[in-house]
Amino acid sequence: MIKQIVFALTLLATVGVFTYTVLRLAALFKLTQKAFPVRDIGRRLALTLKVAIGQTKILRQPGIGLMHALVFWGFCVILIGSLEMVTDGLTGHERSFRFLGSAYNLIIASGDIFGFLIVFLILAFLGRRLFLKVARFQGPELTHRNHVDATVALSLILILMVSLLGINMFYFRMTELAGTAEPGLFPVSRHLSAILGSLSSSQVQIGHEVSWWTHILLIFVFANYLPYSKHFHVFMSIPNVFLSNLDPLGKLKTMDHVTTEVKLMMDPQVAFSAPAANAPPVPRFGVLDVEDVSWKNFMDSLACTQCGRCTSVCPANITGKKLSPRKIIMDVRARMNEKGSGLRSSGSSFSDGKTLLRDYITPEELWACTTCNACAQECPININHPSLIVDLRRFIVMEESGAPGELNAIFSNIENNGAPWQFNMQDRMKWADGLESAGQPISLPVMADLAAAGKKPEYLFWVGSAGAFDDRYKQVSRAFIKILNFLGVDYAVLGTEESSTGDVARRAGNEMLYQMQALMNIEVFKGYGITKIITCDPHAFNTFSNEYPDLGGQYEIFHHTQFLREMIKSGRLTPDKTFFNGKDVTFHDPCYLGRANGEYKAPREVLGAVASSVKEMNRNRSFALCCGAGGGQMFKEAEKGNREVFMERTDDALETGAAIIATACPYCMVMLTDGIKYNNKEDEVKVLDLAEMVARSLEL
Amino acid sequence: MKILVCLGNVPDTTTKIKFSGEGTKLDKTGVQWIINPWDELALTRAIELKESGQVPVEVISVLTVGGTDAEPTIRKALAIGADSGYRVDADPADSYQVAFQISEIARQEQFDLILCGIESSDYNGAATGSMLAEILDYPSLSAVSGIHPVNGHLEYTRDIDGGRETVTLDLPAVLIVQKGIAKEPRIPAMRGIMMARQKPLTVKEPGPSAGYTEMISFELPAPKPSCRKIDPDNVRELVNLLQNEAKVL
Repeated sequence: MIKQIVFALTLLATVGVFTYTVLRLAALFKLTQKAFPVRDIGRRLALTLKVAIGQTKILRQPGIGLMHALVFWGFCVILIGSLEMVTDGLTGHERSFRFLGSAYNLIIASGDIFGFLIVFLILAFLGRRLFLKVARFQGPELTHRNHVDATVALSLILILMVSLLGINMFYFRMTELAGTAEPGLFPVSRHLSAILGSLSSSQVQIGHEVSWWTHILLIFVFANYLPYSKHFHVFMSIPNVFLSNLDPLGKLKTMDHVTTEVKLMMDPQVAFSAPAANAPPVPRFGVLDVEDVSWKNFMDSLACTQCGRCTSVCPANITGKKLSPRKIIMDVRARMNEKGSGLRSSGSSFSDGKTLLRDYITPEELWACTTCNACAQECPININHPSLIVDLRRFIVMEESGAPGELNAIFSNIENNGAPWQFNMQDRMKWADGLESAGQPISLPVMADLAAAGKKPEYLFWVGSAGAFDDRYKQVSRAFIKILNFLGVDYAVLGTEESSTGDVARRAGNEMLYQMQALMNIEVFKGYGITKIITCDPHAFNTFSNEYPDLGGQYEIFHHTQFLREMIKSGRLTPDKTFFNGKDVTFHDPCYLGRANGEYKAPREVLGAVASSVKEMNRNRSFALCCGAGGGQMFKEAEKGNREVFMERTDDALETGAAIIATACPYCMVMLTDGIKYNNKEDEVKVLDLAEMVARSLEL
Repeated sequence: MKILVCLGNVPDTTTKIKFSGEGTKLDKTGVQWIINPWDELALTRAIELKESGQVPVEVISVLTVGGTDAEPTIRKALAIGADSGYRVDADPADSYQVAFQISEIARQEQFDLILCGIESSDYNGAATGSMLAEILDYPSLSAVSGIHPVNGHLEYTRDIDGGRETVTLDLPAVLIVQKGIAKEPRIPAMRGIMMARQKPLTVKEPGPSAGYTEMISFELPAPKPSCRKIDPDNVRELVNLLQNEAKVL
């Protein structure tokens, strides 16, 4: 009875402290902003089963991933045993879950095996942390305190497992002495218990009690230590995965209050008139401080266990830039710890003279991001770093116009001439001058002309600013037109009516300019009744597919590799597979085709139809390294680092020994071509777009 | 201190220049108008001075001479950070007429420092600033490449042959600024665009001057001849062409 009272009081204290923690966190969550509605419970459950329970993302690093997965699955089983211990403690019974029958036996037996296994796994983890200088566990954002925290958490788990094995060993010995032993329950501990052979019956009982109390008290301590530790992920990971943003990685959140303002700006009747006196103040654009982050950003920061997988795959970090996606997430938690109580007591106007942006996260870090989404792809628990980075950029751009000068220049260009480059819109068709195929001139059908003749083509071919103005990518536009012409596809281009999609502005933080461009383009599409769009630009493909729908533009979008794949599959295109014989080809995955939209197959199927020898780079598909041009980097100097991202990626490609680097994106084309030049390999290695390869093999 | 930044409303640099009226007028259809780049830098520097707090700047006004179609340019300057705007409701005719119109408002509003870009990117007359100083009888400095607050006063630097000179001036004064006055032009932030809607834009009737210049005709420069490639082994041909056709040797 005394044991029960002591146990109940301990449990009460544990639950009390835990409740305090939960209430404190709930109050902090109240300070944050809305993110996205939590719908699609079925999809969320499936995702949780796959990513959290199935550990699929942590298994992207198979060795260490499997070790973690075993610990996780072991914990799940052992947790049931812990619940039983709580029940036993409160009721005074012994092994009260026995009514579960054979399921119980399975749980206890597997818990026994897992407990034993986890001891060694944790020892391995500790060894890795303390003796092997694993690169992921280094970094300026990891303080001594963070390292101690990790070691404490691992040590607690180690003692938990040792005490669990203690319980099992002593229990088995007890039953053995009583003649009721069930060896099947303890496949490991029954062997271990041999070392207890010399102990008397009462000594064994004491041993069992000591192990039992050590284990359960440690669980109570652990439960209350976790919320203040990086190891909070033990609680937060599963809910964090369940509450993931279900949108594709390539989709950024549309800022509704920007849409309202942009629509006003675009209405000549009210654009310059003073707002109504009673108009509510427009909230801050983007993220300046921790009260501007969404509940999901904050949750991400609580769930982060600082494993550093994000930072280890970040192209900016790999090339020595200051950006570390892990640090961005850790900073949110640290800043909330610092400012949260002030915000709670003094309201949203509370200021301590510091801000998340600048005092924690510097603009230099933010401007190093290529928005390649490698970090978000890699995170085992679906933390989304790029969306927060863009939100911070949004503040700098829309509240302060403080972007790097080169980005401000492209904003002005897009505003003035509809392209990031300084070219007049009237020159948007020059890329097609003198276009011919097999000696026959090709005249490009233009939407306005067709509309005037009362015709509506099936497809719009979206050339894109790079396709129209970048000298190298103009050749890709030309090659693709030859294919469309060869196929007799019913298409047209917008010609001088085309204007920037706004993608680059958006990823550089200029949501206003993006929405202006998007709304304008949507109007143009509407005017021509456009429903299907083909483009060679993955960035246009992404923003049309994922982002324009938020502003009212719904279309069927095809990246040219998808279109080519369909044409090859249906037999309408039969490229000569031997055309590139004798040449190894490697394929560089554009981030906005691959990670952003999960399209890895189409380009490879097209490649398979034109090339006989394909050599994959070590980092391919969702592991592919960015070319370095996304997120506005194309138009600015790289932030300070050891080297340029494109050099790193070119090395990947050159390592394959391929004579042709195939890709399917204007930015990747520019970067890899530069990389080849940098390596003085222009004669041996060519960078080609898949459309060019198809067109060449068909001798168009 | 009250600062006036004079803005030229000029065609965007990518504009395809066309003429109407048999080559006597610029064809304005489809032209995207921007702030003259030199004036944009002057405005940027004025805002930097105000923000730095190192000299007391009460107000930054901008002014342009032009029709209602010039108002978006003024609004843009307000969005970038100017406090108030003036538009003199007259089509700009020549440097003198523009300088005269500016001088009328400068006198009425008693600006201490008037900034003009060294030239405009449309007609490149490079005369308005000096004429303005002359009409107002204010001291002026041309080709100013730096404005520096020093102990609550301003010093100006000019790039001169082989070096740089530092000058002070009594206010009110006219500064004619060149590139380098600010590192990069500011662009409007979204917040700025929204705030600009509440800032005053005053339209003034033009004073009695229509300018002294009569435009007779414009013509476009001859298009660039296409590039001719000569075989690297055929140096003789290259020399021949450079000597006899291009006449540069």
